[in-house]
Order: sequence, then C-alpha cells, then structure tokens
Amino acid sequence: MNKLQNMTVAMILSGLLMAVGNVIGYQVDWYSSLLGVLVIIVIGLIGMAISQVPGLNKLPMVFWISIVAIIISLPSFPGSAWVIQITKKVQFLAVTTPILAYAGLSLGKDIELFKKLSWKIVPVTLAVMTGTFLFAAIIAQFVLKWEGAI
Amino acid sequence: MDILRNWKIHLLVLIIVVMSENLGIIKYGLIILLPLLHALVLGGIISFPKFKILSTKQMEVAAGILPIAMMLLIVKIGLDIGPNLSLLFHSKGALLLQEIGHFFGTVILGLPIAVFLRMGRESIGATYSVAREPNIAIIAEKYGLDSPEGRGVMATYICGTLVGAVWLSILTGVVAKLGILHPYALAMGSGVGSGSMMAASVGSIIAAYPDMEQQIRAYAGAANLMSTILGIYVSLFFSLPLATKLYNFLSKFQSDKETAKEKV
Repeated sequence: MNKLQNMTVAMILSGLLMAVGNVIGYQVDWYSSLLGVLVIIVIGLIGMAISQVPGLNKLPMVFWISIVAIIISLPSFPGSAWVIQITKKVQFLAVTTPILAYAGLSLGKDIELFKKLSWKIVPVTLAVMTGTFLFAAIIAQFVLKWEGAI
Repeated sequence: MDILRNWKIHLLVLIIVVMSENLGIIKYGLIILLPLLHALVLGGIISFPKFKILSTKQMEVAAGILPIAMMLLIVKIGLDIGPNLSLLFHSKGALLLQEIGHFFGTVILGLPIAVFLRMGRESIGATYSVAREPNIAIIAEKYGLDSPEGRGVMATYICGTLVGAVWLSILTGVVAKLGILHPYALAMGSGVGSGSMMAASVGSIIAAYPDMEQQIRAYAGAANLMSTILGIYVSLFFSLPLATKLYNFLSKFQSDKETAKEKV
C-alpha cells in the first residue's frame, strides 16, 4: 500500500471521527455532519493530489491544501456558497478534538525523552510559546488600530 | 493497510472524542478548558509508558496520522479565508508585521530566561524558534543534533510537544478574557506555525468571542500560513543569527565559567 492510499484512508478515518464529535458535542444531525466532513475530505484530497505534482511538490502540502480551500471559498468561485453552507455545519472544535486525541496518544514516546531533560526547559519552553504568541498579538493590535481595521 | 491494522488507536480516539465532547467546554474563572484539551490530556494519560496500553510503534502510528488529520483542519480554516479575503486585505500591514512578533518573540522572551538559568549554548537552539520540525532541520544541518544547539532545539521540541498546546490554550483564554487585545490581534498571535498549537489557541479565542468565529479563524489561518511559509527562511537567516548574537552578548554578564558545561 503506497503512501497516498495510506493518507487517503487516514483522512477519511479522521474525518469520520470528526463527524462523530460533531454529532455528540454540537447537536448537529448525522446527515449534515457526514456530508460536511465529506466535502472537507474531498477538498483535502484535491490539495493533496496537487502537492504531488512534480514541480509543485517543492512547496509543502499544507500550502496547497490551504490554497485549494481558499480558492473554493472565494465568493466568485462557482458553488462556493454551497460549499461554505455545507461545511459550516462541521464545527471547528469538532474538527480539532480527534486531531488532539491522536496527538495525545503519541505523547507517551516523548514522555520518556522528556524525563531525561533538565527542568529548566519547562520555563524556557513556556516563555518561547508565550513570546511568539504575545509579541505577534501586540504588534497586530497596534497595526490593526493604525490601519483602522478595529 | 498499515493504518487500518492499528485499529486499537482509532478505537481509543473514538472513545476519547466521545468523552471529550460530552465533557464539552468547561469555563472556570478566566480559564477555558476545551474538548480538544480534554482529548490531548486523556490521550497523554492513556499513552503513559507505565500503563503499557500502547506500544511505541502504535504511538508512532498515532503521530503519523496527526499531520494528515491536521490537513482537514487546514481545509476548514482555509474555507474561512476566502469569504474574508477583503477583510484580510484591509489589514495586510498587520498580517505582515505581526510575523516579526512570531519570529522574534521566542528569542526576546525565551533567551534571557535560558541564559539566566545557565543553559549555555543550548539556549540558542532552545529559543530561536518554536522548535517545530523545520526548525530542527535547520539546526541539524548547521550544527548537528548532538551539538549544544541541537540538544537545545530538541529539548524545546519535546517539551513543546508535551505542553505547548495546553499552555497556549490556557494562556490565550486568559488573555482573551482580559479584553485588552482585540480578538483579531489574538487570532493572528495564535498562528504560531504549529497546527495543534494554533487549534488550541484559536479554540480559546472563539470560546470567548463566539460571534466573531469566522473572522477569527480567517486571521489565524492567514497568519499561520505565513508563519509556515516564511518560517523556515526567517528562522534561518534572521532568528538564528539574532539568537546567537544576543546569547553572546548576554552571556558576557555571567561570571561563572561553568555555564557552557551545563547540559539541558
């Protein structure tokens, strides 16, 4: 089984788990949840296919998938209103939960490595994460004000 | 089929999703705990090596599915960018300039603390970036991973994987509740260039400002896309030299010659 088939299966599987979460957590019906997830998967697969094209594969898959999703959602793109309406039913938080569940299940292997580190890395890592988030947000705040966007 | 053969992982994710979504969003004062956070913590507990529920290989399968599942989140966010493109275009200056905060905020806040804790040259690798895979590759190529810089970047990578999303989710929730910074500014701040960290952070902003959900995701998605694309170049040509210079400067003030010998 090649890499692309594996990725397709993984995408469909994680999509189904997102639909489950969408039904349980946000009281959306099964039909809308599954249809919404299906559309999201199809867009993901189109982006994935494009990212495999020789030449285009110089840029990461996340770039191509973003571009495809952005183009499809442009108001001037035929059928964009339908796509947005269908995929809106899939809640953002429902999409994130299975992803972080997979992330959680992979943490065990990092826990062993973590034990070998000095405690010092904990405050340093927290400072690194805080710094990147907070400084970007503060700069954004000033420039947004200056641009009159807020 | 490698992915389907590891059905135990998917079954566990299903159980975790059902439990996390049932728990729902928990608000406790300034702190917002999202289902994604429950899922991360539950998953982490299940995978704890002591419990022997999962083998290392199974954990690697979970880690392998993660970036693919992440692509669906990227689609979901991308679909919010199109309808908001004119809004984003009106704030193109903010979108561009906030990246300065993303790329240098790690050094500005992290490096002095690392130097103060006497981490030696590990400080450089540990704080020059958010230490995701591309950043590791840069250090590996320049210094090798068994150098002090390499040990530093790996340490932040491991620690960031364990605590990054949890920390950002809670921090963002608190900052959002304080109401000093606009949700759009927070949204751009959350585009740190790591999918799970962005998801955790954006989730908290949306929980605090549900009526601006779509715009928040559009800003976050655009900022994250920029961090992802520009990240590798900026961290190689600007952040790493800056971290090195600042380290050399700050370590001058340390009288203790033992500093360099200390390991992370």
